[in-house]
Amino acid sequence: MGKERFDRKKFDRLAQEIRYITTDMICRYGQGHLGGSVDLAEIVITLYYRIMNIRPADPQWGERDRLVLSKGHCGPILYTILAYKGFFPKSWLATLNMDGTRLPSHVDQNQTPGVDITAGSLGQGLSCACGIALAGKMNRKNYRTFCIIGDGESNEGQIWEAALFASHNRLDNLLVICDYNKLQIDGFTEDVLGLEPLTEKWHSFGWEVFEMDGHNWDDIYRKIHKAMTVKGKPSMIIAHTIKCKGNRLLENKPECHYIRVPDKDTYRKIMDGLVYKDVQLPY
Amino acid sequence: MNYHEMEMRAVYAGTLNGLMDENPHVICLEADLGKSSGTVPEVREKHPDNFIECGVCEANMIGIAAGLAKEGKIPFCASFTSFASRRAYDQVSISVGFANNNVKIVGTAPGITNGPNGGTHICFQDLAIMRAMPNMHVYSPCDVYELRSILRFMVKEKQPTYMQLIRVKVGKILDTNYRFNPEKAVILREGSDVTLVSTGYMTQFAYKVANELSSGGISVDLLHYPSVKPFDAETLIQSAKKTGAVVAVENQNIIGGLGGAVCEVLSENYPTRVKRLGIPDRFGEVASEQYFFDKYGFGPEHIARACRDMMKNKVKGNSA
Ligand SMILES: Cc1ncc(C[n+]2csc(CCOP(=O)(O)OP(=O)(O)O)c2C)c(N)n1
Repeated sequence: MGKERFDRKKFDRLAQEIRYITTDMICRYGQGHLGGSVDLAEIVITLYYRIMNIRPADPQWGERDRLVLSKGHCGPILYTILAYKGFFPKSWLATLNMDGTRLPSHVDQNQTPGVDITAGSLGQGLSCACGIALAGKMNRKNYRTFCIIGDGESNEGQIWEAALFASHNRLDNLLVICDYNKLQIDGFTEDVLGLEPLTEKWHSFGWEVFEMDGHNWDDIYRKIHKAMTVKGKPSMIIAHTIKCKGNRLLENKPECHYIRVPDKDTYRKIMDGLVYKDVQLPY
Repeated sequence: MNYHEMEMRAVYAGTLNGLMDENPHVICLEADLGKSSGTVPEVREKHPDNFIECGVCEANMIGIAAGLAKEGKIPFCASFTSFASRRAYDQVSISVGFANNNVKIVGTAPGITNGPNGGTHICFQDLAIMRAMPNMHVYSPCDVYELRSILRFMVKEKQPTYMQLIRVKVGKILDTNYRFNPEKAVILREGSDVTLVSTGYMTQFAYKVANELSSGGISVDLLHYPSVKPFDAETLIQSAKKTGAVVAVENQNIIGGLGGAVCEVLSENYPTRVKRLGIPDRFGEVASEQYFFDKYGFGPEHIARACRDMMKNKVKGNSA
């Protein structure tokens, strides 16, 4: 069902390729959400290559595990992985945000095979994930619902409404990962609107809480696996990440959130910042 | 740099800074889109005590602003039109509209100008839903001079207000002597063949089309509405009496916005044929301006064609 054996060298290589291609896609279009996209590489690869039950040839397969990208502005990295998994041709990647594309900046369930829920207005995806998980229980299905939220996104009251709902309804088939890169648009999360102590907050909302290094293959796999054994309540994994990981020019800089690439020089500079550059573009 | 060569968001931030110098009660609130509205870093650095970063919490921001207003502050809350209007609509309805608190809501990147962000961020209904709210005043400036004048007006008048803010540069339409009057449409060109009505972002295109048509022998009465509510009915009725044909164009759904207001006024006062141009009841998508214009037929060439068609039909109608 699409799962692969872990081979560190191969996975490292894959993460670098996916970062490179995602960066190139955004640069080609000329602007977009870079930092919060590429910092998800290891997490999303682990989910799609090692954890989730999926059938790329049958994106609507009823038993598949669901993924809700609640921080919907990070569509580009999801598209790269969906293309790698064969949900659609890699050539589509060159059309990101172009007129008439099926790969819009924010994820759209009616446009892209493999996207389970439309998102982009922050805070809404987690509620939808609760609904999907609840339906799984009602329909006695065994699929699991994964959801990725942002730390900035966690400012939204709706996140905490969903947090109450999920624990109240014992949604142990819901596993949420918070991309804790400590940055949002107007600055660092603790300067904009502090979230700490974040672990304690989720814990007090009735969730099982884990923390992991969001760029460490072993830690990611272990924590997700552990969270999948939790019974009677939903799980939150707080992933410590570095925004725009893999790009020396932009890593952990507020300006990596949304880049503008007005000319070839800027394009070259951003691509040059990538740690690994030896990648063949698939389009 | 000439004033009209500035980005609209820079004018927003600069004008707020000036207003804060004059009146310490003016407050700028942001919901993690300050860079996008232009107030970060400009206002945050120049007036740190008058700048409130709320985080990604649009509904909460509106409530905070209502409380501030109740205590005599003059809060300006900005976010993308989608989040400032529809996302926080109940908070705006109750804490601002119904309670009649002096809150200024600034919806940035209206309609197709948010093309790169796509359907979740593009709002084609903010003029309509804000217009349908009692107590709310709804403005959509077309250039930097009008924006500046409207912001000054907003600080003076104690009333709930929603204003669309184009972020990018817009060409010069008005001039430095312009004074905003919400009760009056701005007659940008006088003509007798067809009435063209526009607001906000589309006015620059309507202006260009009106000038071109006029040099081609079609005389256009061009009415720009900086205030969609209150709506200057009298100027429209007089124009319709003169021309007998009306085209309305907006960067919005054709349901309920400017075109809706035009139809309401005319059908009750002076029934006249109206052609509404804009988005024909669709959501947004990631796309360029030209793509939207071509797909939905409301770009300059479509406006020109609609004016010509309305004129032709008028002649036919009269002779029949
Ligand atoms: C309701 C809503 N308000 C505002 C925005 C604009 N916006 C897009 S991304 C973002 C910051 C999100 O920060 P975070 O969740 O930490 O994302 P990351 O840093 O991981 O990219 C904001 C405010 C939005 N998409 N939705």
